This record gives sequence, structure tokens and C-alpha cells, in this order.
Amino acid sequence: MTTVIANNVTIDFPIYGTGHRSLRHTLFARTGGLIRHEPAGRHRQQRVVVRALDNVSFTLTSGDRLGLIGHNGAGKSTLLRVLAGVYTPDSGSIRVDGRVSPLFNSVPGLDPDDSGYENIKTCGMFLGMGFDEINRKLQDIVDFCELGEYLELPVRTYSTGMVTRLGFAIATSIDPDILLLDEGIAAGDARFAARAEGRMQALIQRTRILVLASHSDALITSMCNRAMLLEKGHIVEIGPIDEVIKRYHQRPVEASVA
Amino acid sequence: MRPDYTIAAADLIDGIRSYRIWTRLGWQEVKRRYRRTVFGPFWATLSIGAFIGGMVFIWAPLFKTDVKSYLPFLAAGLVSWTFATALISEGCTTYTAGVNLITQLNFPYTVLNFMVVWRNIIVFFHNILIVIVVVIALKIPVDWQTLLLIPGLIIVAVNGAWMTILFGMVSARFRDVPPLVGNIITLLMFVTPIFWFSHQLGADAQPIVTYNFMYHLIEVMRAPMLGTAPPLLSYAFTIGGAIIGWFVAFDLYARFRRRIPYWL
Repeated sequence: MTTVIANNVTIDFPIYGTGHRSLRHTLFARTGGLIRHEPAGRHRQQRVVVRALDNVSFTLTSGDRLGLIGHNGAGKSTLLRVLAGVYTPDSGSIRVDGRVSPLFNSVPGLDPDDSGYENIKTCGMFLGMGFDEINRKLQDIVDFCELGEYLELPVRTYSTGMVTRLGFAIATSIDPDILLLDEGIAAGDARFAARAEGRMQALIQRTRILVLASHSDALITSMCNRAMLLEKGHIVEIGPIDEVIKRYHQRPVEASVA
Repeated sequence: MRPDYTIAAADLIDGIRSYRIWTRLGWQEVKRRYRRTVFGPFWATLSIGAFIGGMVFIWAPLFKTDVKSYLPFLAAGLVSWTFATALISEGCTTYTAGVNLITQLNFPYTVLNFMVVWRNIIVFFHNILIVIVVVIALKIPVDWQTLLLIPGLIIVAVNGAWMTILFGMVSARFRDVPPLVGNIITLLMFVTPIFWFSHQLGADAQPIVTYNFMYHLIEVMRAPMLGTAPPLLSYAFTIGGAIIGWFVAFDLYARFRRRIPYWL
């Protein structure tokens, strides 16, 4: 059974190495999590802590496609990283049953000095695939990215679009139970984008739970069946997409922040 | 912070089991560093070789020894020193260099530690060529005691592993540590008998050598390369160091492993 159970999850980021000057700026910021100053104790200096997630609780089961909505710094990416197991909550608990695949900004382990083939292997391993699995999927990845002989060359010789193709082909070859997506992943030129769309849909089809963070209402509407509105690290609303998106646009403070 | 030994132990075991990842990453990293160069990883070998080849003619007379006995001592010592200290200095950047992985994935971070150790073992086996050349050229006897290099290497690698965990964590949290460690290593290079023989120091100053952990780490590798068995004291120090070091590093890892992504 694939499930995600979050119970009063709270995440605090201690900020190291900020001077008073940068502090003043952050204090007046309108976006982002709640910034708190922990009083100086007998043994520790005063330090700045950003509360990125505040008492977040929810449950996801098979078939859930959750869209995360909120302004910059509302806690969407932090929540995704908590689900990925990167950050362990300071208080509260998170239980994730199933194979998790995070697809964030870049493919983990991609190295520009290595060839395309080498990167397929390294990234595949970091995405949790074994050697056999990678070998089984190699042809599919090679076919899909259409990079041909370029795969023999170091990735730094690729154009930006070609790197994206490679990254996308590797990232979408996995078979996760739980898929975590940050902002969706961009995908090269128009023709490739159309094929990428199909491949993405196929990936989501074979995934039991999807959590997608995005600023695009259209993307959330097309891919998700539930939505969660986050603001300053806590859940404002979780429910049907239309209602949550409507609520998001009605909130005046966030609307003024681009 | 409350230690979580179960998670730390699981991380360690998963890390060891993922040997296919870290052996691969270690190799890739060595290849990557010297890509497009003619000599590849042998550049490190060449620079140590050139250093030894140049300095031997200054230091041998300076320390009043003949080149024939000084050269193998310097070569074996410097190659061992490079290996042992690279584990410490590169250990400092273990986690900061893995920032992209650590902040995106949940995986055994010890994979990164073993990768650093493995990479330096590979470099060591390139550098050892210098010692082999010297040994052959000067006809230094190779016998059964030379084989003690293998346990010596293993002991240093096991010590190196806890050092990369300890220094990796401390450096991720306190960014002043890597330059500080760099400074201390430079100092230790002159305090440890690599350029000079320990007996030249005189009886009164012997504790500088006897209680120098780095000296013992070097000695378990250097002595076999020179065809002699390392003193038992060196084994006591290095094996004891490995046990204590692993206890300390493991305990800290159990306490702070979950904080590592927050520090990066």
C-alpha cells in the first residue's frame, strides 16, 4: 500500500553566517516563511531561524495527485524535500510507504565532464536504479533523447536544450510509487516538448501518488486531482483544485508579490 | 541532540553495500580531474616525483645522509603522507561537495565518504610507481615484509573513513575548519619525520615522534615499502586510533546525520 502520512510536520532552517545587514532585509520581506530570532542562551549566540513548514498534516493514498500552490517561499519545495526524505522534521512525523522519486531542478549526479552514457549510469544509480535496471532501460533512454552520437561526448559540449533532453529522458525512465515534481521539468524544443508531454503523462500514469509544486494553474489543473494552498509554511486549504486556486487568487498580499 | 544509532548503522551498512556506486564515482572523479591531459592521474605522480627528485639533493646533504638511503625513505614517506593527508583534507569537503545530492535525495551519505577513500586509494596506486622505480633502481630487497604494506593500507583506509565522516560533518557546519585543517597539515608535514629521520631528533625530543598519530599512520605504510616491518607501537596507535575514531565519528554521525542537509 502506497501512502504518505504527515503529522504536524515542522521544519526550521537555522540561518548561518548572516550579518545584521542582510538580516534587516529579510525582516521586511513579505514573502517566505516566518523569520524568528531565538534568544541568546547561556551557551549559544542569538541565531536566526526560518520556519519553513509549520504544523503541516495531511494524508495521501494511491491515486492521489496533489498540487502544491503558494507564493515563493511558501514552503512548497521544502515540503517536497521532506517527502523525499532530505529533511527530517524537527517536530511531528512523516511516514512514507513506497519508492519515492524526486525530480527537482536538475537530475541528481549529472556531471558536465562525463559523457552522456556515463551520466545515464551515474544518474540512474542515484535515482535508485540498479545496474540491471539501467541496462534494461538504456535503449529506451537513448531512443527517447535522440542525441545519437552525442551521447559519447561530454555533456558540457551539449546545448542547453540537449542537456534538458538527456536529463528528462533519464528522470522519466524511473518506476516510482511516489513521484515528487518541482515546477514540472522543462523539455527542449516544440517537437520534443510534445513527446515529453506524452512521456510525462505515461510516467504519471504508472505512479501511484504524485505531488507537484507549480505556479501554473493550468499545469496543476491538468495533472492533479487535489490541491494544497501553502502560506508562510502552513496549510491554508487542502481540497478540490478549483476552490483552492480561487482562494489563492483572492488572497491580496500574495497577489501583490510577483 | 539525541543520537539515532539505528539510522546511522543503516546508513553505514547501505553505504558499504552500495560499493558499485562509490567505486564507480571514485574512478569517474579521478578520470574527470585529469581529462584531456596526456599523463592523466600520473600528473600527481609526476609532481611528487619531481619534488623528490629535486629536493633529495638539497636535503640528503642537509640532513647528513647519503642519497642512496635518503631517497627511498623520502619517496616512500611522501607517497604515504600524500595519501593519509589527502584523506583528511578531502574529507573536509566530503559533504559540502555533495550538496546537490544531499539536498535532493535521501541516500546513505557514507557513499560519499567511501568515494573519497576509494578515490585516494586509486591515486595512491598511481603514486606508488615512484617508490617502485626507486626500489628497483637502488636494488632495495623486496621480501615477505613488503607484503605488510597491504594491512598497512587497509589500516590507513579504515582510519581515513572515520576521518572523512568526522571532518566532513564538522566542516559542513563550521566553514572555518577546512582552511584550519589545511594549515595544521602543513605544519604537521614538518613535525612528522618524512624529510628527516626520527633518530636525528635526539632522545629528548622523541615524544614529538612517539605521540604523533600521523607518524604512525605513515610508518605502517612506509616501513613495508622499505622492506622492514613497522614497529608494534605503530600498529597499536593506528589500530587503536581506528577503533576510537570510529566510535567518536559514529556517535557524532548518529547525532547529527539528519542535520547535514540543513547545514549545506
